[in-house]
Amino acid sequence: MNSRQTLPYTFLVPTILVLMVLAFVPLGYAINISFQDRTLISPNSSYIGFENYIDLFSDRRFKNALWVSFKWEIITVTSTMIAAVGLGVLMFETLKPRTRNLMCLVFLIPVLLPRVSAAFVWSFAFHPLYGIVTYPYRAITGKPLDLLTNPDTALFAVAFVDLWQWGFFFAVIVLKLLESLPPQPLEAARLDYAKTWQIHAFITWPMLKAPLVSLALVKAIESLRSFDLVYIMTRGGPGITTETLDMYAFSQGFIEAGKISYASSMAVIMMVLTVVIFTFIWKRVRT
Amino acid sequence: MKASHIIGKAFLALMAFIVLFPIFWTALNAFKVNADILVTTPKFVFEPTFDNIAYVLSRNSVMAALTNSLVISLTSVVIGIALGLPAAYAVARYPNRWTEEIQFFVLSLRFLPPVAVAIPLMVIWLNLGLYDSWTAMIATYSLLTISITIWLAVPAFQQVPKAIEEAARVDGYGAYAVFLKIALPVAMKTLIGAIAFSFVLIWNEFLIALMLTTGKAKTLPIVASEMSQVGMDVPWGILNAAVILLSIPPLLLLGLLSGFMNSMFSNKSR
Repeated sequence: MNSRQTLPYTFLVPTILVLMVLAFVPLGYAINISFQDRTLISPNSSYIGFENYIDLFSDRRFKNALWVSFKWEIITVTSTMIAAVGLGVLMFETLKPRTRNLMCLVFLIPVLLPRVSAAFVWSFAFHPLYGIVTYPYRAITGKPLDLLTNPDTALFAVAFVDLWQWGFFFAVIVLKLLESLPPQPLEAARLDYAKTWQIHAFITWPMLKAPLVSLALVKAIESLRSFDLVYIMTRGGPGITTETLDMYAFSQGFIEAGKISYASSMAVIMMVLTVVIFTFIWKRVRT
Repeated sequence: MKASHIIGKAFLALMAFIVLFPIFWTALNAFKVNADILVTTPKFVFEPTFDNIAYVLSRNSVMAALTNSLVISLTSVVIGIALGLPAAYAVARYPNRWTEEIQFFVLSLRFLPPVAVAIPLMVIWLNLGLYDSWTAMIATYSLLTISITIWLAVPAFQQVPKAIEEAARVDGYGAYAVFLKIALPVAMKTLIGAIAFSFVLIWNEFLIALMLTTGKAKTLPIVASEMSQVGMDVPWGILNAAVILLSIPPLLLLGLLSGFMNSMFSNKSR
């Protein structure tokens, strides 16, 4: 065998084996624990079958967390995509290449910040008494504005931070995608006095539809990682209005009850849901 | 210049302000005493103090966390490079049904909710006696670094012109020599960006670290987040200083990552 035939094996087999061990051992373990009644406090545990799963179906907080996670996905994905397309096109139309590059640099900053940092930066900006964002409201009305402890606004306030991190980042990607298009059709349309919106609706949109759909999918996957923001900014509160699935699983497993097995069963359901849904969508979009 | 262009530019300037101002404000607050922060009308002019930063830097827990974060991030990034780059090259250069499946498998690892990995891993590391250790954290994070390195390095290797590799082969280079001496150096500029991305991802990681460390292996995001619980009141000045310290390493890589995005997208059209 020559080296060209052996290379794929020597390069792939060890890596894939390591990945499989690192991924499947915990997953198998999670499934295994989810059929037990293990807690953080007692070392003894026994198998109890599907009891955890049955309990989940009558757990109102679990249903709430499902609903909050669903809302979170919808809010963050749509707002990010709208902001990204809007800002990307705006940069493409109004800025010269040099200013564009500077703008891209600025717009990349939020996504590079640790989620923990972004969460703290904004939770202080949203502070009802001392926050900089709530200052204009206080100055005008003389009353404090409490966005993070109001059940109607809390989820949006947290989602705003997610938008702040991802919307600008995706705007840069949309700009790069626009720049990578062949310039001739756009110039031809401009020579024919096509309006800007017509150019984007009839020329760039059809060419960029596929990458934008992939981008939305990537955002949907990344939006599953809501925990950091929620944990720092609201801990799932007020009440349970911002309690997403990972936040609820964490608080069941660690904060309140230490019910590792119960949290595991939730994690298993999350895993099955996301893997099945995203694999299905991804394969459909990509073919 | 058209009026719509001016409005557009003004709007973009406002957006840049929304990006930068909160961070600038946080940095400013890091130099304020609590009495200057906890005012109803925000203060731009104040007597700067270095107490917050000095406090953060003098804490043993912060220094330990900084060491932990650096060791854990860098080691798992190196493992990601060692295992991820060759795999990415094989996927990029030997496309067939299997490598396609492998690429999807690597991507699907990103579908997994971190909680679903962290809860069982906690039990596993406890059973092995490795809970709250560098080994446990590095092994766990390697799953992330290997997959993200593969995912970002495949396009980087695909951009290497095949003709160069063919020429090297004609000169008598074996497949491994082509990888090491040709593909790797040619793709290096883009690869460094991919590696920087995997570093930022690990440096910023919070949930897994929160579940898998309780003491000696705590990473910086965890310790920074705990700064909000010092004493009775929230020590905002100290917290802001910690947030800034935590954010510096990813921001140092800004230029590198922006260049990476340029090379990832510009070559697509060629």
